[in-house]
Order: sequence, then C-alpha cells, then structure tokens
Amino acid sequence: MPSEPRAPEPIRPAHWQQLSIRYPFADRPAVGPVDLSVEPGERVLLLGPSGSGKSTLLLSLTGLIPHSIPAVVEGSVRLFGVPADARKPSAWATTVAQFFQDADQTLCGMRVEDEIAFALENRALPEDVILRKVAEAMRRVGLPEAWRRRRTTTLSGGEKQLVALAAALAQEAPLFVADEPTAHLAPEAAGRLHRLLMNAGEGRSVLIVDHRLDGLIAAVDRVAVLGRDGTIVAAGPPGAIFRKKRDLLDRLGIWRPLASFLDAELEKVGLAPADPPLSVDDALRHLAGAPPEVVRKARPAIAAFVAAHAARPHGDRAGGATVARLEAADCAPFLGPTVLHDVTLDIRAGEILGILGANGAGKSTLGASLAGLLKLKRGRREGAPGGIAFQKPEHQFVAGTVQEEIATSLGGSGARADQARQVEGILAAWDLAGFRDRHPFELSQGQKRRLALAALTAGDRWPLLILDEPLAGLDAHGAAMVAQHVEALSRSGRAIAIVTHDMDFALSLCTRSVIVGDGGIIAEGPTAQLLSQPSLLKRAGLAEPAIAPAMCWLDRVPAC
Amino acid sequence: MLTALHPLGKLVVCMAWIAAAILVFDARFQLATIVIASLALVVLDRTSPILILALMVPFALFGFGFLTTSVLFRQDSDFALRIAGESVLNSPAFSAGVTLFLRAIACGMVSALFALTTDPGALIRALMAQWRLPPRIGYSLFSAMQLVPDLAAEAQQIRLARAMKRGRPPRRFPGPVELVSLVIPLLAFAIRRAGRAAIAMETRGLAPDAPRTVVSAPRLHGRDLAFIAIAFAALALCISWVRMG
Repeated sequence: MPSEPRAPEPIRPAHWQQLSIRYPFADRPAVGPVDLSVEPGERVLLLGPSGSGKSTLLLSLTGLIPHSIPAVVEGSVRLFGVPADARKPSAWATTVAQFFQDADQTLCGMRVEDEIAFALENRALPEDVILRKVAEAMRRVGLPEAWRRRRTTTLSGGEKQLVALAAALAQEAPLFVADEPTAHLAPEAAGRLHRLLMNAGEGRSVLIVDHRLDGLIAAVDRVAVLGRDGTIVAAGPPGAIFRKKRDLLDRLGIWRPLASFLDAELEKVGLAPADPPLSVDDALRHLAGAPPEVVRKARPAIAAFVAAHAARPHGDRAGGATVARLEAADCAPFLGPTVLHDVTLDIRAGEILGILGANGAGKSTLGASLAGLLKLKRGRREGAPGGIAFQKPEHQFVAGTVQEEIATSLGGSGARADQARQVEGILAAWDLAGFRDRHPFELSQGQKRRLALAALTAGDRWPLLILDEPLAGLDAHGAAMVAQHVEALSRSGRAIAIVTHDMDFALSLCTRSVIVGDGGIIAEGPTAQLLSQPSLLKRAGLAEPAIAPAMCWLDRVPAC
Repeated sequence: MLTALHPLGKLVVCMAWIAAAILVFDARFQLATIVIASLALVVLDRTSPILILALMVPFALFGFGFLTTSVLFRQDSDFALRIAGESVLNSPAFSAGVTLFLRAIACGMVSALFALTTDPGALIRALMAQWRLPPRIGYSLFSAMQLVPDLAAEAQQIRLARAMKRGRPPRRFPGPVELVSLVIPLLAFAIRRAGRAAIAMETRGLAPDAPRTVVSAPRLHGRDLAFIAIAFAALALCISWVRMG
C-alpha cells in the first residue's frame, strides 16, 4: 500500500545538526554536539553558563568559524536550507544580521549614517534606497537626526550600541542574531533595544543570547539551554523551562527572571498561577481581588521573595567613620573635560553605595574620583585612596599566571608558605582553583571578572573599593558569588561603591545610592526610595527594578 | 569654504604643490608657498593664525635640522669661505640651508591645509568611488583611523589601573619607562581589535570581489574646477616669478 506523501519540512532559518566545534590546542570541544533549530518567525533565547560555547555557536552560523576563526568543525549548519559553508560568511549578510555584545565589533569608525548604510552598500543597492532605509532605521531606533554626521568614535558606549542596532536592523535580514546586546546598556536603552529586537509584527526570526531576562522573556517563543559540556540540556517554551527546569538552571548557574523566583515561592504555598509567569506582574495578576484567606496565604510568600531580592539588612552603617569624601568637586575623566559639577558625596566604613545613571552620565568618572585616582578640576577630596575593579578586567592584570596575580596583590610580606596558603584560599573562594597556572588573558570573560575582583579584594590594602559594572559577563553563579563577597567585605568594614546598570542588583545590595545625570548628582538617598520614583527614573534614563510590582503589592494589600 | 571642496581636487593640487616645492630649490618659492597656504587657511577657512603658527613649529624644528646640517657640516665650503672672507650668513651653504628649512615648512603647511580642511571619511569614499580604491583597503583605513583614539583610550585605562596599584593619580604624560611598558599590551589590543573589525566587516557583507554602492561620495562641482584652475595658475605664476627673478 503506497504511503501518504509526507508534507515537506519547513525551511528553517537556522539549523545546527550534530555540530561540534573544537578550537586549536583545546582538549575538548568548545561546544557540541548540538542539535538546534530556529523556525520561521520564531524568537529563540539561548541560555548557558559562562564558557558553555554560546558565542561560538553563533559564530558558526554563517561560517565565521572556521572560515575566519580557525577551529575543527564537525556536523553541519544550514541556513534557510542551504549549507552555511556553501557561501562565504560575507555572502550571508543579506540573510543574517549579527549584533555583537561590543559595539566596537560592529562599527568601523565612520559617521553614523555611513555605519548604518555600510551593509546596504555592500549589497549594491541604489543610493536613494539606501538613504531611505538609513533614515527609517534611525527613526525606529530613535537616533536624533543631529547624529547623522557624527563620528561613532565620539559616542558613548551605549550610544554606539544603539547605532550598531540601527545598522543591523537596516539590513532587514530575515534572521537576526544578537549576542548579549544589552550588556552595557542603561535600563531604559536596554528596554528600547529589547522592544525593537523582539517586535513580532515583522515576521523576523531572532536568536538571542542575553543575561538580562526581565523585560525580554515575555517576547521569547522558545528557550534552549546549553550545559557546561556544551550540549543542549533543555529546550521549550520559556514559562515551562523556568518552572520545570528551575533546579537544573540553578545548578548550572544560569540566570532566571525574577518572576521565576516568585513563582517558586507561590508554588510552596499552593498559589502559583496556572500558566507559568514571565513577569512579576504575571505572577501576581491572579491574586487581584482574591479572597482574604488567599491573600493571607500569599503575603508571606511574596514577602519572602522581596526579602530575598531587595536590600538585605547590613546592620546600621550610618555611624561608620567616613572613608572618603568629595566636596564641591568638579570631576573629569583622565585628560578629559569636566563631566560632573559640584559633587558633594561621602562614603562610610561598611557602607555599600550604588552609583546609578544612564550611559555616558559620568558614573565611572565619579567612582574613580571618589577613589582618588582622578585629579579634581575643582573642589577637594579627603580620605584614603581606593581600589577600583575596572569595567575591563584585563586592564588590571600584570602577572603571568592567575596565582601570581593574586600573590602580587597580597604583597611580599609574610612567610612564603603562609602566602601560598592565602593564595590557595582566595582562588578557592572565587572558584578559580582550577586555573591557577593559566595566563589571566586565557580565561573566559566571567573568570577574568572574578580574578580581577579576587585580586582587588585580596589583602587589606584598600579601605574603599569601587566596583565598576561587576556583573558584566558573569552568569548567575558568578553574580551570586560577587554579591556574597561584597556583603562579606562590607561586614569587615570596607566601604564599597558599585557602579551598575542592574537596578535589581543595586536594590539587593546597596542601602544608599546616588543617581548621576545632567552633569551632576541628581538624587541621593536610600536605594529603595530612589527606585520607586518614576519621574526621577525617567529623567535619569533608568527603569524601575523588576521586583517593584511585588514591593507595591505588599504596600498596597493590607496585612490581614 | 575649503572644507566644502572635493577632497580629490584638493589632493591633486596639494600633491602638485608639494612636488613643486621639492623640485624648485628657491627660498622665494618656498616662502610664497607658505604664505599662500597660510592665507588660504586664514581667509577661506577661518583658521586661527595662532593655530597655523603652532602647526609650523614641528616642521620648523624639522627644517632647522636641515639648516644646521647644511651650515655646520659643509666641510668643502668652509675653506672657500675663509679665503673669500665671506660671512656664514652670506654663504651658499647658508642659503641652501634656508631653502631646505623653508621647504620643510612649505611642505608641512600644504599638508596641513589638506588635513585641516578634509574629512578623512569623505576622502576615502571619494577614493573608492572615483579612483577605484578597493573597499577592503578603504575600510581598513577607516578602521585604522578608529584605532588611534581607541589606542589612546586603552592606554589611559591601563595607566589608570597601574596608577591605582601605585596608589597615586597618573602623571599627565607617561615617562619613557612607562611608555615602553605600554607597548606590548597596546600591541596586543591593536591585534585583537583589528581581528574583530575584520570579522565585523565580513559579517556585514564586505567582500573583495562584489560590486558595491558608495553612498554620499563627494561629487565634483564647478567650484572644484575653479579651485583647481586658480591653484594651478598661482603655482605657474610662482614658478615663472622665481625663474625670471
């Protein structure tokens, strides 16, 4: 009996089949074997711990690996049904738009309009069509017309990121691939970028790698999770993954949206919503108008969630001695013009201070000035010098191996055996023991970040520590480790200032914050209080923390 | 006004004038070149005369080397000078040295006129659109231009990190030891950066053999032809004046 003809399989925008990639001299594959596909119009989020091979997988899509980056590739990659290696990587630009974490990887140093036009010029489109598409891309991303002729080198990191996004969107490729696009963006800009990327109306397929899940996850159709061994360990709709695979994600140190934590708390008291929530609002929606006994039952669960993710009690540090103080200070970056005027700010022993603000507002400059590393243009600074964990951890490394890096930071005092023990202890505490003989530059971005923080906090040289974007490049496991160390350092009496774009991280650690903007400090006070003022957040280009609806719920719903 | 001119027209004029400055060994011609270039910058481009004087300093220092070499190390002319009882200032060696000195400044000022009034991006676009410069080379030049400020920013960050370890703010200018110690990390940065830029361009479809459009390439206007004609006429006049005199 003749079998019925099978329906033809849809042509998948991207399809990895048993793909495995091994870099030269590596003893195991960086990723794979992986089977993964992106369906037409689908928006897929790829998650994985640091070093699981997410970026490697994305680079293999258009053949950049092995064509431009040497590696041994087994298995196959197909783009819209065509083997990726059938064309040169450049020939896939009409089909795949790629957006990298670092805007400098996308931009070539031209004027803004030339950057956006670049990919369209390479397709030899008529000039009037290119100019129309450039104008349209600028409008959609919200780039001011005045930027058209500005060189991208004159833009701040976040601004460059937006130009890179406009350049990638202008390609109008049916598949959009983004690798941590919001890593260096302030909340408002990150939200705008997520909305543009995930706009479902355009029928574009999207594959995105990002740690910043709140605000993104609701627009995702499917999540794929890479394990530590570089293979897919879970895949499915985001709600189901974050509810059913919670333990697996935690074991792997993968970020989860805050709603998933609230869902877990509500589940414990039997009040989890029927559909897995993707935002804190979703998790609370079914409690609106609920009978008092349900509210009574839900309240402790929501309070426990808020307690775990909002500012933890660090004891009363208000009485601590002042460690450093800026008075009527005009702050400027090294060899640059003044960016902050008339700053008066102090930080006390044991305090954790948040420095918040939009991209380019001058947060890092304020941190370095507070540490005494930058000369003030006006005003004065008092207090001991501070140590800084720079945004790029590589800047701090001076030694040839990881253990030497720590030993150098400890200084030469004490017996050699004691110092060796101290080094081992620090490496173990920062989960770096397995890399002691590696060169610092060989580490992954997350490992470099941990090494930089470990070296800075080794010994007791710095009574004041400035941590500039300490979570960048870290997975959830690394971020939790940083939070623990920061709290321990605070308890030991160190003053710590954290420059961050992550409002929930600031809320969970910083008892007090300053908001930088408009060429100075525009607000100062308890972090929770500052982050609950929508007009202030809007003015500063920030967004309220993802946990805010739960805090509002607790305030709004009376305790029974 | 000079800024609005076509970069290739300016390039041709400046190259011709520099070639003439090299070939015409006469102090008056070099002086005329300096005056014309400076006047063009001040009158047509509203460049500050102080900036022009400041720009002359490095070229003057360079030219001073020619002058001193010519005067102090012309062994063969020394004996003749003494016999003739001439002063050094009237000697052929000195006048040759002065011409060399002025030539260095003249070439420098013509180059400055081009650099100060030309958008590098427009130049590269014009080279790609009109002189068929391969896009790979054109965009490599773009990247190289980007690399200079990036290297400076990277060097500043490294210096800040090291200053932190020393426990005092960095000096405004690095000393020789610090400069040498920056070479390796900056070289490593430049190599990484160049590799990333190449990948980014490939990702966005830059291919060596494919046809491409060049948007906003400068177009030749009547004013460019007028500028070229006037510039060549002035050059011819200066050369004739020197030859006749």
